[in-house]
Amino acid sequence: MKEKKPVYICRCQEVTREEILEAIADGARTIKGVKNRTHATMGLCQGRTCRRLIEKMLAEVTDIKELKPGTRPPVRTLKIEEVIKGEDS
Amino acid sequence: MKKTSEIVIIGGGVIGTSIAYYLTKRGKEVVLIEKNDLASGASGACDQDIILQSKNPGIHLQLAMKSAEIYKTLEAELEHPIEYENTGGMILIETQEELEIMKDFVKRQQQIGLEVEILDLKQARKLQPGLSHHLVGSTYSPQDAHVNSIELTLGFAKAARKQGAGIMLHTEVVGIKQRNGRIQGVKTSRGDIDCEIVINCAGAWAPKIAEMIGLTIPIKPRRGQIIVTEEVAPYVMGDVLSARYIVAKYNPDILKNSSDPGIKLGVGLSLSQTQKGNILIGATREFVGYNTDVTRTGLKEILKNATRLVPGLKGMNIIRMFAGLRPYTPDGLPIIGPVEGIEGFFVAAGHEGDGIALSPVTGKIVSDLIVDGKTFMDVSRLALERFTKNNPKA
Ligand SMILES: Cc1cc2nc3c(=O)[nH]c(=O)nc-3n(C[C@H](O)[C@H](O)[C@H](O)COP(=O)(O)OP(=O)(O)OC[C@H]3O[C@@H](n4cnc5c(N)ncnc54)[C@H](O)[C@@H]3O)c2cc1C
Ligand code: FES
Repeated sequence: MKEKKPVYICRCQEVTREEILEAIADGARTIKGVKNRTHATMGLCQGRTCRRLIEKMLAEVTDIKELKPGTRPPVRTLKIEEVIKGEDS
Repeated sequence: MKKTSEIVIIGGGVIGTSIAYYLTKRGKEVVLIEKNDLASGASGACDQDIILQSKNPGIHLQLAMKSAEIYKTLEAELEHPIEYENTGGMILIETQEELEIMKDFVKRQQQIGLEVEILDLKQARKLQPGLSHHLVGSTYSPQDAHVNSIELTLGFAKAARKQGAGIMLHTEVVGIKQRNGRIQGVKTSRGDIDCEIVINCAGAWAPKIAEMIGLTIPIKPRRGQIIVTEEVAPYVMGDVLSARYIVAKYNPDILKNSSDPGIKLGVGLSLSQTQKGNILIGATREFVGYNTDVTRTGLKEILKNATRLVPGLKGMNIIRMFAGLRPYTPDGLPIIGPVEGIEGFFVAAGHEGDGIALSPVTGKIVSDLIVDGKTFMDVSRLALERFTKNNPKA
């Protein structure tokens, strides 16, 4: 059966399941690899919603041996002013 | 998997993929081998600047100018959106001393044909309203540009593949075969490939590849940390560097004895805004081996430096931080060309902080050297032998 309605994996960036599968077929084996090819995880929520789903797809579709830790949790949103105040005030 | 290929390229960064594109364009048989993914090294962890005016007037600027010319039509040629944009750019000047150095720098660049000038603070603030009032002025060149380095790498790879290149990802080169001073092939984690030519495009890892055939290459990884802000309305015009960055790049001794933590980390401003609106704030220049962690001191020093020059950044939020490894060489120039004594072994690595800007011209030069034995300019000064022989020119 063909998927008629697109299934969105990354809602913020409107990236479909199909597009993620294409990225994996193209050689993506990490979240970063998928992100580079589709821009998934780069939306407003910074992947909080979609990262898990993509990891699951990567694990299903690829040889486990090829999977490498590739994610770095996003920095908590920080005001620049707060960072530079820090210790030396 | 292919068992033979005329040429094997090691490294799927912007340099390896560019060379794969230009070689297949000239009808060569090529396999590119990358141990992780495309753009998983420096080419996926860097800024987006194609800066001409930061280059030393001489061969470096000449290379950059040729690259800039190629960039104008590259997006159409690759049929891939690389987000190239001719934005212009400036280098911020903070002191009279820097102003004198930059005046001389600019004059020599103008003589080579670069469009660049010195602006006073008022003119500079007209272009870049966020600048601090303590600045003396800036340089300005309309020729600077931006490109998305990840899209560029993917675009070169896609176009190369269309022209027949084999691209093997998640495959590591573990050895190089030679006989009687002649390349025979490479050993990989997925079997051997016989070939006549090997091109070492492994960036900061190029010395490890060279070791496999007993060669020493004086490239070292130089970490750069970058901070990313949330998406904001257009705020930064073009590429922004600081003159201190240029001074640090070409005269590292001037800063050597400082105890300032920011200077010790080699922090120099690089500022630009992506098409989506995120501002990239950089960067450190550190020798910490192959470590790509981001650090708390890096975060703080980069932001202190940036807000001193552009105070308006203070109110913005940061969302991310990353680090990449620039392939550093002792004289700041890349190593490009065949290696004497091992027939069929080429190096194209060591572009340090300019690999994105110089990738098109590097691909062109290497493909010319392999196909025609010569190229459009004298590149003998870029040979590895400048470090190994008593070469008065180096
Ligand atoms: C913070 C920062 C900011 C920068 N900003 C800019 C900028 O604004 N403009 C600019 O022009 N340049 C910039 N640069 C420099 C630029 O990123 C580099 O010069 C360029 O990416 C180098 O490309 P490369 O292909 O040589 O190396 P890389 O992209 O590092 O590619 C080398 C590849 O070789 C692979 N490899 C290594 N060993 C093996 C093996 N044994 N087998 C198979 N594959 C292997 C690696 O996995 C890697 O993918 C910046 C760099 C940094 C770190
Ligand atoms: S759902 Fe993918 S970034 Fe938010």
